[in-house]
Amino acid sequence: MKIKKILIANRGEIAIRVMKSARKMKIGTVAIRTAAEPGAMYLSFSDEIFDNSEDVSDIPVFLDIDKLISIALKTGSDAIHPGYGFLSENAYFAQKCFDNKITFIGPSPDSIYKMGNKTIARRLALKIGIPMVMGSAGNISDVEEALTAASKIGYPVIIKAASGGGGKGMRIVRKEEEMERMFSTASKEAEKAFNDPSVFIEKYIENPKHIEFQILGDTKGNIIHLGERECSIQRKHQKLLEEAPSCALDSSLRKEMGDIAVQIARAVSYHSAGTVEFLLDSDKNFYFMEMNTRIQVEHPVTEAITGIDLIEQQIRIAEGEPLSLKQEDIKLKGWAIECRINAEDVQAGFAPAPGKIENLSMPADPYVRVDTGIEPGSIILTTFDSMIAKLIITGKDRKEAIKNCKMALDKVWIKGTKTTLPFFRMLVRNQKFQDGTFTTAFIEKDIEKYYLNSEYEEMLAAWLATKLFVEENLLEDSINVDFENGKEMSPWLLNKRINQF
Amino acid sequence: MNENLKIKKLYALSSENRKFSFSVPLKNKIRIGRRDYIVQLKSDEKYGTYILWKNRKYPVEIVRSRQNKYEILFNDISYTFTVETPFSLQRMKVIKSTKDVNELESLKAPMPGKIIDVFVREGSSVLRGEPLVILEAMKMQNEILSPVNGKVIIVSAKAGVNVMKDDVLIEIKID
Repeated sequence: MKIKKILIANRGEIAIRVMKSARKMKIGTVAIRTAAEPGAMYLSFSDEIFDNSEDVSDIPVFLDIDKLISIALKTGSDAIHPGYGFLSENAYFAQKCFDNKITFIGPSPDSIYKMGNKTIARRLALKIGIPMVMGSAGNISDVEEALTAASKIGYPVIIKAASGGGGKGMRIVRKEEEMERMFSTASKEAEKAFNDPSVFIEKYIENPKHIEFQILGDTKGNIIHLGERECSIQRKHQKLLEEAPSCALDSSLRKEMGDIAVQIARAVSYHSAGTVEFLLDSDKNFYFMEMNTRIQVEHPVTEAITGIDLIEQQIRIAEGEPLSLKQEDIKLKGWAIECRINAEDVQAGFAPAPGKIENLSMPADPYVRVDTGIEPGSIILTTFDSMIAKLIITGKDRKEAIKNCKMALDKVWIKGTKTTLPFFRMLVRNQKFQDGTFTTAFIEKDIEKYYLNSEYEEMLAAWLATKLFVEENLLEDSINVDFENGKEMSPWLLNKRINQF
Repeated sequence: MNENLKIKKLYALSSENRKFSFSVPLKNKIRIGRRDYIVQLKSDEKYGTYILWKNRKYPVEIVRSRQNKYEILFNDISYTFTVETPFSLQRMKVIKSTKDVNELESLKAPMPGKIIDVFVREGSSVLRGEPLVILEAMKMQNEILSPVNGKVIIVSAKAGVNVMKDDVLIEIKID
């Protein structure tokens, strides 16, 4: 059945991303205006806006199932796209859509539930003989149980939230003495983030690569994979840079892992776009980690090397169309790298750096795709994530993609908050990154400094500090304006102070 | 006549103790090797405030200035300098040589957030790397570790309280 109008149950760049594909397919879209971001950029991309800015409840509307259903019904939307995060992996929400005869653009509630619950997913994978790391049989309810399980598996172990994702509720435990503390923080974090404190324990694989496979399945039982993405550049399990393909895989390993990824998806009769995540150790053994039952932040790198619009595929599958693509149609071409430009302070351990974006300009070269929901004047709020933009850079091979990436990074101009740009400027010049031998331990272990600067840059900053000192103290005609916090000397300084967080 | 107008040289000292010297009056030129390069501070609608150097624009912000201390954001990286005159630099050297080496370490919040747990009390002995506080920011629980070995003398962090970036959480007397 053809979809006529999609309610976008999300914000930011992914809302815009979905609306772009919908527009291409001549499907109408409805965006939701919130009190937190009443003038957000994504609103200008939709055909209709539902104004929910009067609603000032603590829970964002994008997490409010009943409200979203009622908005869909009120606006005559026959489908909902959940984007990523928020309710994208909520089985109850998918079911509620179905109950109200609204098409949920995503997998079935049953698939979401089974893959969302890591304990059930593990059991399913074990049953069909998928390689996995050793772990606790089920959920762990207290520290004593955690200690017993860990001593059986052998340290180091990793505690994970049963309903988890995005690195929340995850802790590595290297020694017995650390268990009590780590167990309690992981469990508390899991409860906060997922409303479910249950955790389980797995053997921790030292220095693996994070490799994931993009899956597409239709409602007729056809399932294919679109190759892998390498997401080993992460900090505290938060991905920072992703690329496709991975230089750790050759075509035979790609086929082997891809086939297993398809098998896992088949085990839950998966339809829509999904991602099967693996750890790959230094001996090229791979282990199934989890399946994400949504479109992912890093999906554009797969689009770049396959030429397939994943959102369009999601919509077509939701309409009941059979996949027009077969496994042998999937050809990987070139190389793609995605840099997540976040409002974070690299010098303070990637701490969130919320603030107002004053100026913003992005490279327009043919090898760059920019996915963003931020424009000058936008405010990066602590309420939502810290993403400013995704920079997707392509090249005919990895070397060219890295070279293009270097150039693109120098053309990004963002003023108003600190960003992860200095980190990427360092990364693309790092030997280990260029070699492709990095693992998920790269940021914690292999680099001395999180960012790049030259001595000239520090010298120029010193010159500026000296210039300010001169204006303030040494000029007879210096203008001293008294403010609460001291003296101000120039209008451009004033600007910054007013906008300070 | 202002005494300050006699100053011929200024020094910008970085927080890592690198020294950059500039002659006064300050020129819009910086010498590298044998060549002078022009440096310009500019501001416009499209780019905001920036420095133009060797045909390239670098974004700059003045994050903070207090007395002679400046925090500058240059190309997305912060630098802190104190600007000293030849006299104040001399005075600083004298003070430094007579100062007690037993110093205080102030543990500051690296990001805005909410204090979830505090593991130490006033008087506790702590080791470098030991977790002292759990700070929640953007739904992540972050352990704040002790940067030094020492003894806790002040605990300002309280569980359940929201803090701003750079709020002092704990002060430690370094062993």
